[in-house]
Amino acid sequence: MIVDPVTTRYVEAFFELASEKGVVDEVRADVDMIAAEVGDSVVGAWIFNARVPLEKRRAKVEELVSNCNPLTRDFVGLLFVKNRADVLKDLGAAFRAKWLSSRGSVEGVVESALGLKAEDISSLSASIGAKLGKEVLLRNKINSHLVGGVRVLVDNKLIDFSVEGRMAGLRRKLMECELPSVG
Amino acid sequence: MDLRPAEVTSILKKEIESYQGESSMQSVGTVLSVGDGVARVYGLDDCMMNELLEFPGGVRGVALNLEEDNVGCVLLGSASEVREGDEVRATGRIISVPTGDNLLGRVVNALGDPIDGKGDISLSESDYLPIEQPAPSVVERQPVTQPVQTGIKAIDAMIPVGRGQRELIIGDRQTGKTALCIDTILSQRATGGGDPSNPEQMLCIYVAVGQKQSTVVDVVRRLEEHDAMKYTIVVSASANDEASMQYLSCYAGTTMAERFRDEGRHVVIMYDDIYKQALAYRQVMLLLRRPPGREAFPGDVFNLHSRLLERSAKLSDDAPRINPRYKAGGGSITALPIVETQEGDVSAYIPTNVISITDGQIFLESNLFNSGIRPAVNAGISVSRVGGSAQIPAMKKAAGGLRINLAQYRELAAFAQFGSDLDAATQATLTRGERLVEILKQGQYQPVLVADQVMIVHAGTSGGLDKVPVKQVQAFEKTFLAYMRDTKPEVAEGINSTGKLSDEGKQEIEAGAKAVASQMGY
Repeated sequence: MIVDPVTTRYVEAFFELASEKGVVDEVRADVDMIAAEVGDSVVGAWIFNARVPLEKRRAKVEELVSNCNPLTRDFVGLLFVKNRADVLKDLGAAFRAKWLSSRGSVEGVVESALGLKAEDISSLSASIGAKLGKEVLLRNKINSHLVGGVRVLVDNKLIDFSVEGRMAGLRRKLMECELPSVG
Repeated sequence: MDLRPAEVTSILKKEIESYQGESSMQSVGTVLSVGDGVARVYGLDDCMMNELLEFPGGVRGVALNLEEDNVGCVLLGSASEVREGDEVRATGRIISVPTGDNLLGRVVNALGDPIDGKGDISLSESDYLPIEQPAPSVVERQPVTQPVQTGIKAIDAMIPVGRGQRELIIGDRQTGKTALCIDTILSQRATGGGDPSNPEQMLCIYVAVGQKQSTVVDVVRRLEEHDAMKYTIVVSASANDEASMQYLSCYAGTTMAERFRDEGRHVVIMYDDIYKQALAYRQVMLLLRRPPGREAFPGDVFNLHSRLLERSAKLSDDAPRINPRYKAGGGSITALPIVETQEGDVSAYIPTNVISITDGQIFLESNLFNSGIRPAVNAGISVSRVGGSAQIPAMKKAAGGLRINLAQYRELAAFAQFGSDLDAATQATLTRGERLVEILKQGQYQPVLVADQVMIVHAGTSGGLDKVPVKQVQAFEKTFLAYMRDTKPEVAEGINSTGKLSDEGKQEIEAGAKAVASQMGY
């Protein structure tokens, strides 16, 4: 997930304040709600539409967070004051990543040609987690191009056990191997 | 190249059996934007400066800008195959190029891939070396003492170049800069008979940066005609190659040279031309949004050239003891960077930078070139800071008065144009000067051996040609050298074996000059 560095900075400050005040779980629920609303194509298109006057957009978002924790309300208000409403776009993903990292966890994707069983995913998570020193939460994604095996993408790292990856490696090796010349 | 199918099959079988597959963790990123030969990549957390990156479709790139949230990289191939959102893999390898003897005689691109259609180059993993390497430290070097014979009388006599020296060749377009390089390469045949397996053979690397492809073809053809490709590598990043390839080619050539230097051999490397490399670097850096400085060059353009040219050095004899990287001591890289000036303006940004980095400059002038003085070396403002220590004693002795004689001649020649009566001493200086200027003229692709240079220069400075008409000096030189070769071979042999010109030798040369002059009727 590509997150803008500005969003990361705002979210870090937001998360630290929530931790200090002991309201992380409440704030997380607020953030999930905001992410769901903003993720809706109609609402999102309206909130981030520069042609809609800022006051109207702000009023709409403030109405959305009216029942949220005061910290969330303040945070959203600040975003509009600082003209950083775009931070809301990736707020959900960035906050979740920060929350996971505070617990020593990280999310990842395991791609496979066929669906994996839950126990396979958990054993894979455990072995990769041991290598990374973190708890790894894997989500399965079907990718028929892999032919067989799995490909794990976690924390900007790629671990390729797929048939496609191995074939590519073998192709590279064969291209690089020295052949005898005659005459 | 012919291949035996059975052998190939057995090799491939072995490779497949031994293949374990790559299960290591690779750093990956996503292309954010791509265009103009540069890409921005999100992710790649552990990316190193100058790390080689793999894009889909076999396109490679080099990481140059490591920023907070993205990596700026240059693409070393066609950008048309790379799309936004593509996966980029870090290879964990700093960009490296192949090195070694197998490259001799070949034309390669900035990545060391052959482009001469002569098939693949046989290489092993250990032949690949990073293109950026630290220059030898102070203790690993020794002063420049051995000469590089360029075969050009004007240079070897007055602006000597030593092994390990950096001598800039500077001049406007069409003044013979490239010709000077080719002559230098041809002249190196004399060091080891043109046999690259001879440890005495001076090896040559010609880096063509931003040149027309036709120029590169012409250079290669000339070298092949004179059988000089055997000990030469041509690294070509021509004008139609990506700017990144043009900027990297000089470093690639230097890495190839360093391999030979570290094995105790001697290399001369020409960067033709380094100004175009700076332009390519400027282009890449502006696209990567580095802040522009003077003339829009990035702030580190001085370092671009200084770190390149500092790698040219004469290694100390006990360098291997100090640093195990060196397999043998005493090797050298001599750099001949070329800078093309506009309208003779040597005070422009890049020329002044390179002048300050190098150990001297050979200034080629269009006026001299157009008036028929070729090579068009302006002896007045050309210098070699290493000087006489890079000359054999014989040449030092013979050329001692040459520079002063010529300076006096040029000063008086300006006055003599007024046509007033001249006294005998002035007349003599003019007569001598005219002939010395004529002696220093030389045809292209005709390098002169050092012993021949010593003999003709001594004949000139001792007044042996004073009676020969100016137009006949070239003919005299040919006859004189042939006469000396045939009748007094011991003089040239003495110079070659001892490096010195004895008093007897001097007398023989003077007598020979007198004999040839009278034979020609003067």
